[in-house]
Amino acid sequence: MKLTSVARATVLAAMLGLGAQAAYAFDPESPECIAPADPGGGWDFTCRQVGKSLQDLGLIPSTMQVVNLAGGGGGVAFAEVVNKRNDDNDLIVAASSATATRLAQNAYPGNSMDQVRWLATIGADYGVIAVSKDSEINTLPELLEMIKTDPSSISVAGGSAVGGWDHLKVLIAAQAYGIEDVRTVKYIAFDGGGEAVTQLLAGSVQAFTGDISEAKGFVDSGDIKVLAVLSPDRLPGEFDAFPTAREQGVEVIGANWRGFYAPGDMSDEAYDYWVEQIGAMYDSPEWLEVMQANGLAPLNLRGAEFQEFVAESVANITEISKQIGIIQ
Amino acid sequence: MDVLGSLLDGFAVALTFENLLLALIGCFLGTVMGALPGLGPSNGVAILIPLAFTMGLGATPAMILLTSVYYGAMYGGRISSILLNIPGDEPALMTTLDGYPMAQQGRAGEALALSGIASFFGAFFATWGLVFLAPLLVKVALLFGPAEYFALFTLAFATLGGIASRNQAKAAFAAALGIGIAMIGVDGQTGVPRFTFGEVHLYDGIDFLVAIVGLFALSEVFIFLEHRASGAHKGADQVKIGKIIPSWSLIKYCTPTMIRTTILGFVAGVLPGAGASLGSFISYSVEKRLVDRKGTFGTGDPRGVAAPEAGNNAAAGGALVPMLALGVPGSGTTAVLLAVLLALNITPGPLLFTQNPDVVWGLIAALFIGNFMLLLMNIPMVSLFVRVLMVPPRYLMPIVAMVSFVGIYGISGSSFDLLVMVGFGVLGWVLRKLDVPLVPVILGVLLGAAMEKNLRRALTISDGDWSTLVASPLSITLWVIAIVGFILPIVIGPMIRRRMAIRRKDEEGATVD
Amino acid sequence: MSDRVFGGIGVVLAIFFIWQATLIQESFIQDAVGPKVFPVIIGTVLGLSSLYFVLKPDPEPSWPRFGGLAEIGFAALVMVIYAMALPELGFGISTAIAAAYITWRLETPPLKAIIAGVSISAGLYIVFRLILGLSLARGPLGF
Repeated sequence: MKLTSVARATVLAAMLGLGAQAAYAFDPESPECIAPADPGGGWDFTCRQVGKSLQDLGLIPSTMQVVNLAGGGGGVAFAEVVNKRNDDNDLIVAASSATATRLAQNAYPGNSMDQVRWLATIGADYGVIAVSKDSEINTLPELLEMIKTDPSSISVAGGSAVGGWDHLKVLIAAQAYGIEDVRTVKYIAFDGGGEAVTQLLAGSVQAFTGDISEAKGFVDSGDIKVLAVLSPDRLPGEFDAFPTAREQGVEVIGANWRGFYAPGDMSDEAYDYWVEQIGAMYDSPEWLEVMQANGLAPLNLRGAEFQEFVAESVANITEISKQIGIIQ
Repeated sequence: MDVLGSLLDGFAVALTFENLLLALIGCFLGTVMGALPGLGPSNGVAILIPLAFTMGLGATPAMILLTSVYYGAMYGGRISSILLNIPGDEPALMTTLDGYPMAQQGRAGEALALSGIASFFGAFFATWGLVFLAPLLVKVALLFGPAEYFALFTLAFATLGGIASRNQAKAAFAAALGIGIAMIGVDGQTGVPRFTFGEVHLYDGIDFLVAIVGLFALSEVFIFLEHRASGAHKGADQVKIGKIIPSWSLIKYCTPTMIRTTILGFVAGVLPGAGASLGSFISYSVEKRLVDRKGTFGTGDPRGVAAPEAGNNAAAGGALVPMLALGVPGSGTTAVLLAVLLALNITPGPLLFTQNPDVVWGLIAALFIGNFMLLLMNIPMVSLFVRVLMVPPRYLMPIVAMVSFVGIYGISGSSFDLLVMVGFGVLGWVLRKLDVPLVPVILGVLLGAAMEKNLRRALTISDGDWSTLVASPLSITLWVIAIVGFILPIVIGPMIRRRMAIRRKDEEGATVD
Repeated sequence: MSDRVFGGIGVVLAIFFIWQATLIQESFIQDAVGPKVFPVIIGTVLGLSSLYFVLKPDPEPSWPRFGGLAEIGFAALVMVIYAMALPELGFGISTAIAAAYITWRLETPPLKAIIAGVSISAGLYIVFRLILGLSLARGPLGF
């Protein structure tokens, strides 16, 4: 494995983390993780996987209780944390790019990202843009050129709603390529990436936008062609074969990160505790296995760094959403 | 043969003591969760995921446990449908139509046993379908684009007429009400909220489980309260249980029904985006069109119990085809199973059969084993289940009410959902009073959103050209069936009813079988 | 008569639904059909079928007398209070009270109803929390 700068930072943080593990100013009495969706979804998995790993590694004193609080695309849980549990030190909440997207688009009415404290990421799933294996299109610029000349000729399928993350990725790419009015890009929303890929295979649509984990099986079988991965550099391991959008001259990075936030009035001791514990878990070889199993790529942001990252991505998404008119 | 050899290898994987025990636990827990209103196959499986993880199970045993829960829940849903007129989960909805009347006629035991056999029949042959037809059927699934799905959903609603109500207008009203409820929430195609009145709890729409449990379970509680107040309540002692084992002739009588509905349900299951509910629904309505010459469907016809049960269990097997072969979930439950596979480092998709044959064939073998287990478990347990009816309503009804609340709250953790559910309970009571059928309401809630989405996807792809809806031979065929299914009963229905009225006068007291 | 009233309510509901549909704020991104068309179609079906019962009502159902209605109203009210109290009082207490109320209203002597309420609450706690591991509302007493 290549020692990337991320990995090096990881090792450093691991040493710091281990050093700090000896004494805490804080110990959670009954650690709790809110999954802002029904059991079985991505947020639920984030809570359960992390809760299990933290306990297995002895990083928390007791079992993490996972509470499902569904509704409003995470908005109900966000409001609950802000309004009712704002000083709870034992509580962490699963979040992802979708949380940032909705915050940016004011889809959690009356709530904003600085009402909570952002803890850390546990990995990311990079975006891909793909076409079916029989398609004449072979590179990302070719696809974007076709959209530019005749937007109605290409329907792009994705697993999120309009304005959601899968959609935004294509729009950001289109914008980076120089398509003036990105609203002309024809996007068809499906219920999940799997359904969208099926429609690509069925020939109903011409292109697919989604996460790399959703596309992997179909790439292996040779049914679809990945035009571009939206990561800064080529991904490690078997994903090495996919060209990045960047190297094809389209400046776009799309990472669907997974991580946690905590209540806004959580004490600094508790905040540091959670950042350190999640960080220590991230650095363990066990978590590396979990990441590989789930198709997660490394993305290691903690504490202040993560806070800044979320602020930045909220600002970016707000900007593009304004441009395409999802928000005023 | 190659397939059979692989299947034998699968049995070698599945037939260990640990796996058999897991299958037994899964079948039992699944049956219980299926029977509890509010918990169905999809959240039943999701609830048990942590169990599979904490037990540290490998991929194959974990899948064996969870698919046993899945099949068990498909079996279990019928129990409360038949005994209490409350569907235990959404695919068991249609079973209330004839199952509950049978129970009222004192044939609860027979209905339960027959539906158990029908479930077995559907699931068993669907599993064979999975073994031999999976690669072929994947191609069928790829024939369905948005336009074809829209035609399929229209077909489902067009054949709705006459189910559970004599008044067609009331059935249409109920379906429109359900579809209208399904419109609530953020619109996936444009991202704008609809009918949410600024309430963030409504942004995700109304969960169909909340609607089912409210409309059926709580309204049942209200009916009991009302009858108590007017002093005309029915005592539990009047309930007869009847035979536990259905006669051989009854099974034979229902066999053609089971064969037809197994095929229909299986195909519906294979289509991602159609699913088990549509499977049982279409099975029932098509079967009614085909064989219900005397108008006995809806009044306790055993075939009306066998049809949806064979259909929905076959659909459960069918839904595994796109999940295993394409990595695309055909239903909510398979979506959860898919997530589990991913978490276990197995990528479902076109290569799963070649890359992880032990998992696939072990799983299929486990399905066969689970099926036999469920049959063996369910038939003797019929006599246990029917004892539910001997619990006096004054204890049974509070339990039903509280189970409904806990089931919903335990999943979503939302008080708001409970309030909506109480609202549905009152609505259900009013609709029952007015003889408006509840089944179409639920079908509208379940299928309405998908119907609209596919219409809009199709038209977006075609840039607004409506002729795209009838552009393929498949969609034309579906439209023709839908139109015939809609018009035929309107034309022929009155004719048959008149002829029947004459015949009934001729042979007073003639029975169905 | 009931059907006519019901049909009338249905027509009003349909008009309200269509009116609300026309108020849906359209975003700049627009698909070919838009978010309004389908709800308007459904609203129309709802309205037409309601008109049908105004014109051709079914025979009158037997409505309960005032006592029955009050019974249902109170039960619904208890359920609403239950839903709101659940996160505050916790699962155990609220469920026991609500279950006892319904049992009592179904002609059970008060003492037996209380016993039934407590047992139902405990039984459900065992099944849903201890066996199935669902997260139920935790109250001040921890259950």
